[in-house]
Amino acid sequence: MIIDNTSYSPTDHEAEKASNSYLMSLVAAIAGLPLPIINLIATFIFYMGNRKGTYFVRWHCTQALLSQFSLLFMNSFGFWWTVSIIFSDAVVTNYYVAYVITVVLFNLIEFIATIYTAIHTRKGEHVQWWLYGDLTNLICRR
Amino acid sequence: MKKILLQLIIVIGLFFGTWFVLSQVNWMKLFRIEKITKTTEEKLGDLFWEIYKDKEIKDTAVTKPVDSILSRICSANRIDQSTIKLHIVDVQDVNAFALPNGHIVVNKGLILDAQDEGELAGVMGHELAHLQEKHVMKKLVKEVGLSVLISVTTGGGGGEVAEIARMLSSSAYDRKLEKEADMKSVDYMTMANLPPDHLANFLYRLGQNAPDNMRYLTWVSTHPDSKERGEYIVEYSKGKTRELKPVLASQTWQQLKTAVGATEAE
Repeated sequence: MIIDNTSYSPTDHEAEKASNSYLMSLVAAIAGLPLPIINLIATFIFYMGNRKGTYFVRWHCTQALLSQFSLLFMNSFGFWWTVSIIFSDAVVTNYYVAYVITVVLFNLIEFIATIYTAIHTRKGEHVQWWLYGDLTNLICRR
Repeated sequence: MKKILLQLIIVIGLFFGTWFVLSQVNWMKLFRIEKITKTTEEKLGDLFWEIYKDKEIKDTAVTKPVDSILSRICSANRIDQSTIKLHIVDVQDVNAFALPNGHIVVNKGLILDAQDEGELAGVMGHELAHLQEKHVMKKLVKEVGLSVLISVTTGGGGGEVAEIARMLSSSAYDRKLEKEADMKSVDYMTMANLPPDHLANFLYRLGQNAPDNMRYLTWVSTHPDSKERGEYIVEYSKGKTRELKPVLASQTWQQLKTAVGATEAE
């Protein structure tokens, strides 16, 4: 994670909006915990609402959206695997338990990174995530 | 762009790497999942068998020939026979069913109704497949729930035990599991040099007679679509027949039927 606070100083209003894009995913994740799609939808709605905002806001909305998108794949697979165990004849195996632990680990890392980013973005600092930051630079044009 | 691709590969690799490393740990043993399931299965099997125990036929003229059919199926398919507990009970209904922990219960009525050892072996193979493929516990967990099963084994009400046992003996598994057991039975028969399609004959015949003596045809009435099942069994059996080697001489088969007809539970 890179904190870059030299290039641009956003206004307080911008910083609040950018920070909210991360908080949005957290709140939605807690509210719709069993359904992995909820946090993505919430972040997407927030992204759509701010796609005409300033570069700083747009950039952070996109980074938040991208990070949620990758979680969607992992979580959905785990979600449907669990459903098939409960409702059909799939059984709990070492692979399943290992998958659940891996997904929880990755979600936890993402969760901590999101809180960290939300706090720093609120202060007006530009936090670029490893991989996601570069991806966002590709998508978001000034 | 190259940098992003590399980073993406690293992230994906990290994810699958973590999953792979973690899957090397025996979580089932660590969380005692296997042990809990195994003890519950053993206790349930004993509890359910208690209900039918009084009706067991112990006459060796009956048990020996049926045991020898099971031995052939087990040895030809590398199934440890010591894990299977075969019981013949003095009940007129044409029925056979599997109970947890390797119990196979065959009603006297089914042996009397079977026209040859191939039909009896086919039904036994079908029930054996339910056990080997763990269908019995899957059905119980799905329909009753693991928590109820565990509470039953730790001193739950007797009424519940009887109710669950009745469900196991008189209701079919879902269509997918039934088909799997039918196919597996065909495979077992093929390996054991027994006629693989006689199970289909049994289903056809009993399916046709069903309206007349439905009362006694539990195995068919609880296993719907006998005709459809017969058809796919025949289809699957095509070209599978090896050289047939009967387990019982025709005289022994007749003696078995006479003995079954004459016996009563001790």
